[in-house]
Amino acid sequence: MSLNRILIYGVLTLAAMFYLLPLLVMVITSLKDLEEIRNGTMLTLPQSLNFTAWDKAWSTACTGVSCEGLKGYFWNSVLIVVPAVLVSTILGALNGYVLTKWRFRGSNLFFGLLLIGTMIPFQVILLPMARTLGFLGIAGTTWGLILVHIIYGLAFTTLFFRNYYISVPSELVNAARIDGAGFWMIFYRIILPISTPILVVSIIWQFTQIWNDFLFGVVYSSGDYQPITVALNNLVNTSTGVKEYNVDMAAAIIAALPTLFVYIVAGKYFVRGLTAGAVKG
Amino acid sequence: MQALKIQNVEKSFGAIKVLKGINIEIEPGQFLILVGPSGCGKSTLLNMIAGLETVSKGDIVIGDRTVTHLDPKDRDIAMVFQSYALYPNMTVSQNISFGLDIAKMPKPEQKVVVDRVAKMLQIEPLLNRKPKALSGGQRQRVAMGRALARDPSIYLFDEPLSNLDAKLRVEMRSEIKELHQREKTTIVYVTHDQIEAMTLADVIAVMKDGEVQQFGTPQEIYDNPENQFIAGFMGSPSMNFVPCELSKSDDGYELLMESAGKVTRLLVNQDIPGLAQYVGRSVVLGVRPEQITQVSEDKPDSMVMPCAVEIVEPTGPDTMVTIRLNGVKTVCRVHPTAICSPGEPMFLQFDVTKAVFFDPETELRIR
Repeated sequence: MSLNRILIYGVLTLAAMFYLLPLLVMVITSLKDLEEIRNGTMLTLPQSLNFTAWDKAWSTACTGVSCEGLKGYFWNSVLIVVPAVLVSTILGALNGYVLTKWRFRGSNLFFGLLLIGTMIPFQVILLPMARTLGFLGIAGTTWGLILVHIIYGLAFTTLFFRNYYISVPSELVNAARIDGAGFWMIFYRIILPISTPILVVSIIWQFTQIWNDFLFGVVYSSGDYQPITVALNNLVNTSTGVKEYNVDMAAAIIAALPTLFVYIVAGKYFVRGLTAGAVKG
Repeated sequence: MQALKIQNVEKSFGAIKVLKGINIEIEPGQFLILVGPSGCGKSTLLNMIAGLETVSKGDIVIGDRTVTHLDPKDRDIAMVFQSYALYPNMTVSQNISFGLDIAKMPKPEQKVVVDRVAKMLQIEPLLNRKPKALSGGQRQRVAMGRALARDPSIYLFDEPLSNLDAKLRVEMRSEIKELHQREKTTIVYVTHDQIEAMTLADVIAVMKDGEVQQFGTPQEIYDNPENQFIAGFMGSPSMNFVPCELSKSDDGYELLMESAGKVTRLLVNQDIPGLAQYVGRSVVLGVRPEQITQVSEDKPDSMVMPCAVEIVEPTGPDTMVTIRLNGVKTVCRVHPTAICSPGEPMFLQFDVTKAVFFDPETELRIR
């Protein structure tokens, strides 16, 4: 092995350790009991695999007043994420399809304006969105939060699909039009079947964004409808008695597991989709 | 009844007129080729016939129906695209039957059509493959199969051969011709390749700058070009344009030709009334390479003159000899056995009976 290789792998190993260390600390801490945590150091391995903290975080830990663990909030998040991801992805695909294959007067301007949406920070839209949700009568509900995520995500999903479809030859659409297919038929039978890579990108991106979102969750939902990120915050900040680091860590890992899972399952499509169209062929 | 009538069709993008009043009519079963340099508007015109682009002005009539503002699917046409535009997610057989499926033809009938078309184009073994797994020539066939399956009244071809390599292009070209002769289909075909135009067409429309420069059979256009652009565009190697002085002689007109330092008087043995007003002035002589050859006895009407040979390019059956005539490079088609080396003078025979003349200013044909 040449010196170059050793250097490269050395740097890579350091970087990997740097990123993995916090996860390692979280995992081993979550498997210890409080006694072990107090007596050992952060990196001392647990004496046995002890899942009591996980059980507690899932079903009995206190998040504020109620003490039913994270499980209810986990399903809240699922109920928010699944429809929000699906709807924003489908709408993004439709937008991208229209913006590349059914251009209209001002469609480039429309796309330009939509791009601004990707640059608007969450905080800016908090108040106007609160008014809007109130006006629509869905403030504080799961539907309200779903709507916010769909709208906020549209700019990104549209950007993804538009950039993907721009490299799909328009002759395909023309051929289908001559074959007698209409707008929806072409979308459904020609465009969607060739969109797998970008669908995966959009789903991963939106899933991560929405699952990890805290700000919208804390502002636009309340009580039993809160997503897991908000519940995690409440769990960690509930200060009665001893600070249970092992439960906090287990809860944090539970909250992060779904995104981790999605990346492990679909990660290779993610890279493939992001680079698709960058190199032709 | 005409198969296709294009009446005063115009197309503008904003203030820019890309088609300026096109008029074309063809009979059923005719093979029309729209040919011209890139940017002449030929593909735009084809897309307008297909209904993929809107018509700014004028009318398009297919058969007895005015289709100017109809959807592509209602025009009874099929189109073969330059990139073939095969649906990548479908097999060959699904590609061919897609249009039938949308028209809600029952599956068993679809299968009959697919089988017939596949047999005609010899693509039966490929029916279950995806386009990705096909070669260029096979994709081309499938694209044609998709058009044939629809059995339309007009076929539109948009530069279908330009993505193929040279050998395959020639093969597919003759297959298209054979198919046309066998099926008696009406075809509108766009190309920038004048050889395709000459070999395939019943009628050619030569286009430039959004106008039809000339409309006629390939031979008419080759022999009787309306202007210098058409004369130069059709034919390969292209026609030579030699500026020369015209004077009156006892038998008609004479051209002053200079090559290798010698001036020769070339007699024009054609009756062209228009030439009268150019006496004493300059005209452009249009002469094709095959009209300047080695000296032989069997062409009594021809003139012979010594020429300065500059380049010799053998092609096999003929050798292209470039000479300098009145200061202009001129290509001649000479038999390989009669050839001399570059730099030497060579006697060449001019067949002026088919030569054409153009006005040096307007570039229009002098008749």
